[in-house]
Amino acid sequence: MRVGFQEELDYLEASLHEEGTLVLRSLRGALNALVQQDEELADEVIAFDDEIDARYLAVEEGVQELLARQTPVAGDLRLVLSMLHVNLHLERIGDYCVTIAKLVKLAPPVAPDRMFVDAFQEMGTRAEEMIRVALDSFAARNLEQAETLVDLDELIDRANRRFVQQVLSFGRDPKLHEWGLRMIVVSRCFERIGDHAVDIGERTAYLVSGEFREFTDASHPDEPEG
Amino acid sequence: MTTVNLKRRGRDVKGAAFKGVLLLSLIVGFATLVTLLVDVFRKGWQYVDETLFTNPPSIDPAIAGARPAILATIYLGLMVILFTVPIGVGTAIYLEEYADRRRWYNRLLELNIQNLAAVPSIVYGILGLAFIVRGLGLGQVLLAGALILTLLVLPNMIIASREALRAVPDTIRQGGYALGATQWQVTARQVLPAALPGIATGSILSVSRGIGETAPLIMVGAVTYVAFDPTILGPFTALPIQIYQWVRLPQEEFRALAAAAIIVLLGILLSLNAVAIWLRNRYQRRW
Amino acid sequence: MSVTDAPVKIAGDLQRESTPRGAAVFDVQNVGVSYDGNLAVHEVTLPIYEKQVTAIIGPSGCGKSTFIRVFNRMNDLIPNAKVHGKVLYHGADLYGKDVDPVEVRKQIGMVFQKPNPFPKSIYDNVAFGPRVLGWRKELDERVERALRRAALWDEVKDRLKKNALGLSGGQQQRLCIARALATEPDVILMDEPASALDPIATTRIEDLMHELKRDYTILIVTHNMQQAARVADMTAFFSVDIAPEGDRTGILVEYDETSKIFTQPSDQRTEDYVTGRFG
Repeated sequence: MRVGFQEELDYLEASLHEEGTLVLRSLRGALNALVQQDEELADEVIAFDDEIDARYLAVEEGVQELLARQTPVAGDLRLVLSMLHVNLHLERIGDYCVTIAKLVKLAPPVAPDRMFVDAFQEMGTRAEEMIRVALDSFAARNLEQAETLVDLDELIDRANRRFVQQVLSFGRDPKLHEWGLRMIVVSRCFERIGDHAVDIGERTAYLVSGEFREFTDASHPDEPEG
Repeated sequence: MTTVNLKRRGRDVKGAAFKGVLLLSLIVGFATLVTLLVDVFRKGWQYVDETLFTNPPSIDPAIAGARPAILATIYLGLMVILFTVPIGVGTAIYLEEYADRRRWYNRLLELNIQNLAAVPSIVYGILGLAFIVRGLGLGQVLLAGALILTLLVLPNMIIASREALRAVPDTIRQGGYALGATQWQVTARQVLPAALPGIATGSILSVSRGIGETAPLIMVGAVTYVAFDPTILGPFTALPIQIYQWVRLPQEEFRALAAAAIIVLLGILLSLNAVAIWLRNRYQRRW
Repeated sequence: MSVTDAPVKIAGDLQRESTPRGAAVFDVQNVGVSYDGNLAVHEVTLPIYEKQVTAIIGPSGCGKSTFIRVFNRMNDLIPNAKVHGKVLYHGADLYGKDVDPVEVRKQIGMVFQKPNPFPKSIYDNVAFGPRVLGWRKELDERVERALRRAALWDEVKDRLKKNALGLSGGQQQRLCIARALATEPDVILMDEPASALDPIATTRIEDLMHELKRDYTILIVTHNMQQAARVADMTAFFSVDIAPEGDRTGILVEYDETSKIFTQPSDQRTEDYVTGRFG
């Protein structure tokens, strides 16, 4: 029943996941550019964002079309609204990857400590993992899997805080300072990417349960972890 | 907390009175009919036997029968069906399916059919005498009687057929046309078959009206004393006429015989009507 | 490592069924319809594209049903109905001098608002069209084919000789569709085909339209604009023009792709109608 409608829904969701794949590639590219200080790769990442934006627009139009023509209700409506939000989060993640790439180009050529490289790898890989988990749990409508994102996000947050501490402990070298400031923004980008992945997880929760709720509320933090 | 009062408020006097009046009308009509029937049956039942059906009339009531009359009535009935149905149904189809209602002659035709149905039967009798018996030169024969009855009954037949055709929903015709059928195909293959039960019922009812007519048959020359079986082109009598004749004879027995003949006539008519009702119920369409 | 490796493809075989516009099956030029001199539909010009579903929407009295009956010359059956203008069907004028309406209706089929199966068997219903056309051979195959195409075969294959009136409303309507398909038309006109049906039967008819449009051009009139939004590729919005004397005439307001009509219509009247703020 409603074969046409189901096809359109499936197509839209497939487009969304395709966008997710593109975003992951962008993130991998940005991370590699960062770690290898590869400016050419950074340029590619920046150019690649156009592809992500094109998909973003297509999904947005698709949602508009579905709402106008098919008047979805109940689960279908929640799905379409969730896709609208997930689309936005993915696009924002893509933008953060571009920011990271731009900062790679802006930062002065300083050979960073092994420690920093490892820190970036960890955050970047963590972020990648979170995006995957977010998208997979959305596709599988798996609420439990989505909820694991909170803990994963905590790891990135901690890494981010540690990174900031380390940069603060730099000496007086102006080049190092500049580099450090730029890299704090990069770290922040990873942290924000993680937050967006959590937001995607919250969309899965909404889709499954119908409730609007945040996994954790920034204004009402839980007991600080020991 | 809202309280409701759902009890009957006072008596419905007008309603009860109205119902009473209706019941009274029903009883009056019914009672009269029942009285007549009972009277006829009491008088005539003893004479409803084989003699009635096998013997021709005679001066002796003991051996008198109504065989020629009964046969003639049956023949008349069959001939009337034979003539009326094609002409009546054909006219009805023309008027319902083909005629352009805006044309004056069609409107005239419509008006006149209604009028014709109301014309007294004696007028048909005179008509028959003038045009069929004398004009066509047929003479005073059974066929002439059948033709007159046909004319008498035709308006009813047309009206009944038209009702049957009208009862076929227009959506059926539209559906037929939309498939690329011509008017002939739609009419012959869809409308007519669907109207057939109504038409059949209508023809039987029309015929049963015709069989009971006396006046036109007298005008056309039904004789009152016929001792032989009727033939199409021969002199004839019919049950109503036979009844009329017997009633006028002085002997009491003949009156009883008349009652018996009435019973037979009623029997024929009621059977015809029963067939009509059965047909109607059997083929009742649920659109 | 390069980011932009292989060009990205959509997952698997999920191909989007976009229906690009084909040729125009009908070319309607300044067509108007009047009854007894009163204009019911005024000067409509639009093309109807092949193998698509085109919907006509609008408030009651806007002449939608009158307009759709122009396409199969059903208005001819109404005395005092006059059709002005030109209707080109594959280039030929439908109202030309030598054109036989009966022939037109054999190629342009119609399904009505209230299902109207003939009071005959299911088989005879579907076979009527071919029989009338003189196609006596392979009647069984034709009937089966039509019933399959109308998604009704499985439900009735064991009771083809039973009376069609015993079917449910939704089944009767699909029977009427099968009946129309049996004459192998080019175009199917549907005048509010689902308005007498319950929601599930309606969805089945809509799914059927989705399938049928692969092979047939479909033109539907509907007063349910959500239905038009769901099924149609192109949508025409008709409105009512009320003259100072009170005469009501239907006019074409907007004709565009359905997604445009329902996301950003060009005419304010269209916007008012689809958002439900009409009248």
